[in-house]
Amino acid sequence: MTIVRTEKLSKVYNADTVPVHALNNVCIEIDEGEFTALRGPSGSGKTTLLNMIGGLDKPTEGKVFINGEEISKMKDSQRIDFRLRNIGFVFQHYNLIPVFTAAENVAFIMMLQGRDKREIQERTNKLLDQVGLGDRKDARPAQLSGGQQQRVAVARALASEPRFILADEPTANLDTKAAMNLLDIMEKMNREQSITFVFSTHDQRVIDRARRVITMVDGAIDQDEIQDPDNTQAG
Amino acid sequence: MMTFLKLAWRNIWRNKRRTMITISAIVFAVLAAIVMQSMNRGSYEVMIDRMVSFSTGYLQVQDYRYDSEASLDNAFHYDDALREKVLGADPRITIVVPRLETFMLAANDVSTRGAIVFGVKPEKEQDFNQIGNYLAEGRFVEANEQAVVMGKGLADRLQLGVGDTLALIGQGRFGMSASGLFEITGLIEHPIHDMNNSAVFLPLGTAQELLSAEGHITGLLISVQQARQTDAVARSLRSTLEDSELVVFTWPELMPELLELMEMDLAVPRLLTVVLYVVIGLGFFGTVLTMTMERLREFGVLLSVGMKRGSLSLVLLIETLIISVMAVTSGIVLSWVLLKLVDPITLSGDAAQAVIDMGFDPIIPMSFAPDQFFIQGLYVFLIALLVFLFPLIKVLRLNILEAARS
Ligand SMILES: Nc1ncnc2c1ncn2[C@@H]1O[C@H](COP(=O)(O)OP(=O)(O)OP(=O)(O)O)[C@@H](O)[C@H]1O
Ligand SMILES: [Mg+2]
Repeated sequence: MTIVRTEKLSKVYNADTVPVHALNNVCIEIDEGEFTALRGPSGSGKTTLLNMIGGLDKPTEGKVFINGEEISKMKDSQRIDFRLRNIGFVFQHYNLIPVFTAAENVAFIMMLQGRDKREIQERTNKLLDQVGLGDRKDARPAQLSGGQQQRVAVARALASEPRFILADEPTANLDTKAAMNLLDIMEKMNREQSITFVFSTHDQRVIDRARRVITMVDGAIDQDEIQDPDNTQAG
Repeated sequence: MMTFLKLAWRNIWRNKRRTMITISAIVFAVLAAIVMQSMNRGSYEVMIDRMVSFSTGYLQVQDYRYDSEASLDNAFHYDDALREKVLGADPRITIVVPRLETFMLAANDVSTRGAIVFGVKPEKEQDFNQIGNYLAEGRFVEANEQAVVMGKGLADRLQLGVGDTLALIGQGRFGMSASGLFEITGLIEHPIHDMNNSAVFLPLGTAQELLSAEGHITGLLISVQQARQTDAVARSLRSTLEDSELVVFTWPELMPELLELMEMDLAVPRLLTVVLYVVIGLGFFGTVLTMTMERLREFGVLLSVGMKRGSLSLVLLIETLIISVMAVTSGIVLSWVLLKLVDPITLSGDAAQAVIDMGFDPIIPMSFAPDQFFIQGLYVFLIALLVFLFPLIKVLRLNILEAARS
């Protein structure tokens, strides 16, 4: 089943001064259960594409459908609500709420969804256990390492039970061990709960572990290939 | 909601020192404003009390015609029944004082002067304004005595003293001629200058007889427990006297010039308060401004993970309100304690002497009227709401991506 579909997606920044064509007629489809990497040189439009798909920004032209709903034409408040119910985000810079503990950061999303208190607590514990932070629940972001913070961010992204998670360079600030650890967690969730992951990255080790790799150049899709992560890893 | 409160609370304490400085500044403003107002109000309450008890009373009952024509013809009948009725109208009434007032000529054997003649009940008058304490010489008149007490200024002009005889000449009720000779039992150093130069006090019965006004008075002066109860008591009195020919006036209606004077005097402290709050408001605004600007990126994250702009604004509103509630409460508590500690301020030296010369006690009592505490709280809340407009507009206009980039 298709989760994300874009139709001739274009984005022009600074249209009235020095126009930057960040995206040109991008058409992609992403199916449920994919584990897809988005790669390309700096400035090729990866972040822009993720923002459009996640409804954080509006395209200049073209359409974005999530689960068949056209997110690109929703009003601001509708989009916020839609994101809360359907999309999880992990950003390059951890972006946790500094005054909340790890557990509170995760629970906050569910609180916004208006869930039952006990359910929130159980699910928070479960999610933090899943990302291997069961013993650091009450730590504030400042007391966690970069990798730990990024794992909290993944747990938070999962809290709302989204169908898919968008991650913009989730491993960019992590060392190899932490990056691989985060990938393990994401992969496990993808395999066991068939949560769809789309992440941008420059990191070859991360790209090697994706099953589909989309390469962007100058705001357009240059290559789109399926790979066998176990093979590439071995080779 | 609890989560929003928690978020707001922790955000406030992210920068403890800044928050404490902001709160202290507001506490200081509230404290200064309340103390300033309390002192002013306290001294004005004393002043009003003096003015009012030596002239009009907080409230005065008159015949409805007396206001347009202050003549003995428009006096009204006063007896125990009316007295009970008035006293029963409101429990906050402490004392009722009947007076029969008219204008006459006061004369010695060679010259005459205009005089305001008061028929009074000596013991009531003493309860009401302790007039006996202002005797310069002699004693106050006793009930039904054929005698007068007069302002020392008037006596000096007529070159009369205690034991001399004063002639009063004038008109009684309905044009009856009225004149009589009275022994002077005492001279009053009246605290109100004009009265010192014109007042003559007779026992009420004697005055009624002189003026052919048996059983009549021109005004019934009424005291209340506290000056600020005047309007409320006026309302209950008015409804009690609804069906009669009697009307009720309050002291601001009887002495509008006194109120004007007070308003003028209060203008300066009011202006100071406004300046104080403008300065404090700017400081508060500065704190909220930095608290907002340094968190724009965080706001972007909150919005991108699904927090509604309305909820985020609510959190920021709570932050502003928590700061102001803490500041206002401590300001009010501190000022109350401070006022209790200094109350009443006893003047000393020249200032004290000047006040004593005017016939006042050399103390400034503090006012504890509750509204002055609440009003300052209200001002701070209004400032807080005004200050809150900035983060509100920022959040409503925030572009999520730009915020996340910053
Ligand atoms: N807000 C903006 N205003 C103007 N130009 C922008 C804006 N955001 C991105 N761009 C431009 O759009 C193009 C695509 O940027 P984008 O951030 O999508 O690239 P990217 O592939 O994510 O790069 P990187 O790998 O460095 O993160 C770039 O040329 C960039 O300068
Ligand atoms: Mg990018």
